[in-house]
Amino acid sequence: MGKYIGIRLAHALVILAIVVVLVFIIARIIPGDAIMAAMAGSVDLHDPSVVERVRHQYGLDQSIPVQFAVWLGEFLRGDWGTSIGTGQKVLDMFVQRLPVTLELFVGATLWSIAVGIPAGILGALKRNSAADIAVTTGAIIGVSLPPFWEAIVLIYLFAVLLPIFPPSGYVPFFEHPLLNLRAVVLPTFVLGTHAGGLLARYVRSSLLEVLGQDYVRTARAKGFSEAAVIARHALKPGMIPVVTVIGLSWGGLLAGAFFIEVVFAIPGLGRMSVDAIFQKDYPVMQAMLIVVSLNVLLVNLLVDILYGYIDPRVRVRG
Amino acid sequence: MDHDLDRREFTVGFLTASFALALHPTAAGAATESPSTAVLDQPWAVWDEAAKPMRGGIFRIAAAQYIGKMNPNHWPVLDWVSMGYFHERLMMNDGSYNSTVLWLAEKLNWESPQEVVMTLREGVTFHDGSPFDAKSVKYQIDWIRNPASKTWDAGWLAQLDAVEVVDDRTLRWKFKMPWAGFNGVMANVPGYVMSAKALQDDVDKYDSQPVGTGPYIVEEGSPDNYLKLKRNPNWWFAKASSHPDMPYFDGILVTIVPDPAVRLANLRAGKIDVLLLDKSQYAVAKTDPGLNVHRYPGNHVMALRFNNTKSVFQDIRLRKAVSHAIDRQALIAGTQFGLARLASCMYPEDHWCHNPILKPVTYDPDLSKKLLAEAGYGGGLTVKGYFNNTTMGQTIAEAVKGMLAQVGIDWQVDLMAPAAYATRMQKMDYDLAQGGWIWIYDPDLMPTGLYHPQGGFNFGRSKNDAAIALIEAGRKETDLERRRAIYWQLEEVLYNSYEDAWLWWEETATAYRKQVEGWNQEGFLKYQDAWFWSHPLWFKDGKA
Repeated sequence: MGKYIGIRLAHALVILAIVVVLVFIIARIIPGDAIMAAMAGSVDLHDPSVVERVRHQYGLDQSIPVQFAVWLGEFLRGDWGTSIGTGQKVLDMFVQRLPVTLELFVGATLWSIAVGIPAGILGALKRNSAADIAVTTGAIIGVSLPPFWEAIVLIYLFAVLLPIFPPSGYVPFFEHPLLNLRAVVLPTFVLGTHAGGLLARYVRSSLLEVLGQDYVRTARAKGFSEAAVIARHALKPGMIPVVTVIGLSWGGLLAGAFFIEVVFAIPGLGRMSVDAIFQKDYPVMQAMLIVVSLNVLLVNLLVDILYGYIDPRVRVRG
Repeated sequence: MDHDLDRREFTVGFLTASFALALHPTAAGAATESPSTAVLDQPWAVWDEAAKPMRGGIFRIAAAQYIGKMNPNHWPVLDWVSMGYFHERLMMNDGSYNSTVLWLAEKLNWESPQEVVMTLREGVTFHDGSPFDAKSVKYQIDWIRNPASKTWDAGWLAQLDAVEVVDDRTLRWKFKMPWAGFNGVMANVPGYVMSAKALQDDVDKYDSQPVGTGPYIVEEGSPDNYLKLKRNPNWWFAKASSHPDMPYFDGILVTIVPDPAVRLANLRAGKIDVLLLDKSQYAVAKTDPGLNVHRYPGNHVMALRFNNTKSVFQDIRLRKAVSHAIDRQALIAGTQFGLARLASCMYPEDHWCHNPILKPVTYDPDLSKKLLAEAGYGGGLTVKGYFNNTTMGQTIAEAVKGMLAQVGIDWQVDLMAPAAYATRMQKMDYDLAQGGWIWIYDPDLMPTGLYHPQGGFNFGRSKNDAAIALIEAGRKETDLERRRAIYWQLEEVLYNSYEDAWLWWEETATAYRKQVEGWNQEGFLKYQDAWFWSHPLWFKDGKA
């Protein structure tokens, strides 16, 4: 198992190194001038030396290889630079916003598991029944719903017409737990809808496949109750694709957070990223893309490890 | 420049509009000795005696962006409305966008074109209890000018030779050359008065914990989330105006909500008390019985920008063809939801330099076709350009593209973010693109920026000798009437040469919950800036 994890970790590090280089280069070659955009109207554009002074301040007057070396060295030492758009330290911005986005991720994952897994099991056990049709239809809707539309509709339903939840905003959990939970119900639900639908579909089809296996028939023949058959013999092998879906959905959750945080006015990493992209805020963009890549790589690594745990054949092949 | 009205534009425009004042010695309206000193002598110092303002409640606002740094001289500042709640300026703008209103400066005496004696208000204290006096202003101004302070607006004070303390309330400002732009600068970023004590104690801390003299005090800020302000019980203006309960709210909560639809949902759900409406929301908000909606002009002009020097649009016939091919009325109705005014030229009709003789260019597609044929493009003309990639920008670009196609012009327009199109503007990589200007205060700034060779938004795309001569003449003229006449001529020159295709002057709408009282449309339209800050709102019964 240790060797298996080591190989996976080495793969992840190589990919991360490639991503770091690509991110830096891509951020520099896409069209646009961050300084001009960020300071349009605020500096003396009559006097190019002012723009150049600011460009120098951010090190943007150096060659790209030099910029890369300087940035990487500082990044590794924990100096992620200063945001061109907000003037804040990039690392501070991440530290402030990461818990917020993580809470959304966890909430969305919980929603997707709480809804998707029971629905999938129900669909599989009651195959071709009305319940199964309802689960399948619900799952397709969940996967297909445009999140921005779902968000706006839910805001109007549950914040304007029935004022149960706030339309937007965020209160840290440790500041006011109840207000925090009220604030994150809608955004986490919207964020988890897609993964929930996907999970329901995967759990259903995976369970159906497992339920048709000989060892399940044997278990039934031995006289185990249906609940015991499902819990002890069908669920664990049926979870392999489920782990994959949850793992993949973490990457997708961050993409979802990009607009969920904007719509619900939540001060997390997603909203920060959107602002940075529009302003071509290099320091934030670079740090963000690396964190996103790291997130995906770590989750994939975790999924690989879980595979090895759930199905020993995987780690033998690995 | 981006023309979808939001906080970011406010910021960009506000700053842009102010900047050139410092560059051109005589840019502002001619400053003369103020005839009146007391607050109650000011023309805007009129209050409805029948109204019964009540103290209490937290006023909740939604902003698209967090304020950023709260030292106005440190970049970036992204919300200047909030800035005005805790920092006040020495001067302010009047209803025709002229910087004539005395605020923390009580009196100005121009002893010569290069020397001004300024008397400061009495009885003003900063939020930290330190006195607002000549020494504090001098310290602030010297601090702004010190390169070590890393202020972004130091250049605005380039014409200043020295500021000297005469006595506790009196300053003598000495200029390197005649500087009519002084008033405008004092009504702008360098004129935001800051506690010298706070700057001396910890200048970095000031970025997040500012100390001004304004009606509210910064209590707490959470970037990208909210800004909390509490009432300043010692606001000098309450005493000076004989309204001791001012400001009426106990505090202000600025919540950051980037999405306009969600901002409106917050207003309708009663979670905020006021909202600067997205134009598409105006009709809906107007019919909401729980809201009072006020509509008013904005000092922005929307235009199409020609590359007059390195494209086919060197030919005036083609510029005319484009200008007459656009149905401005239809654009206002179809893309601005009716919230705009037909523009004739650059200065809005309520600006003191607007030339009333000029009329909006007529919609005449037949004339456009004829002009195209005369110029040798009867078979069609293809031009390229860019436009802002916001929803509103895309809508406008598509509508204009359709109108141009009707007369045989294929406008290959790229929708781009400002960061991307700034480079194309700089490199003159366009024939026809988004143009215009936002926050038009001093009459020199916009024509300099767009049409003068030194202009920050020209980049060589416009070289109209007659216009350039008039721009330079306008900077030197300190007499208001003569200066106005110069800008009338300038507008006429630009209009006759079809230098750009001006489309509309903006209008804005704000919705308040009915619980909010004290808005006076007439007073606001007449005095704008001065009225807004001197007539604070309140909640009915003092409750939100």
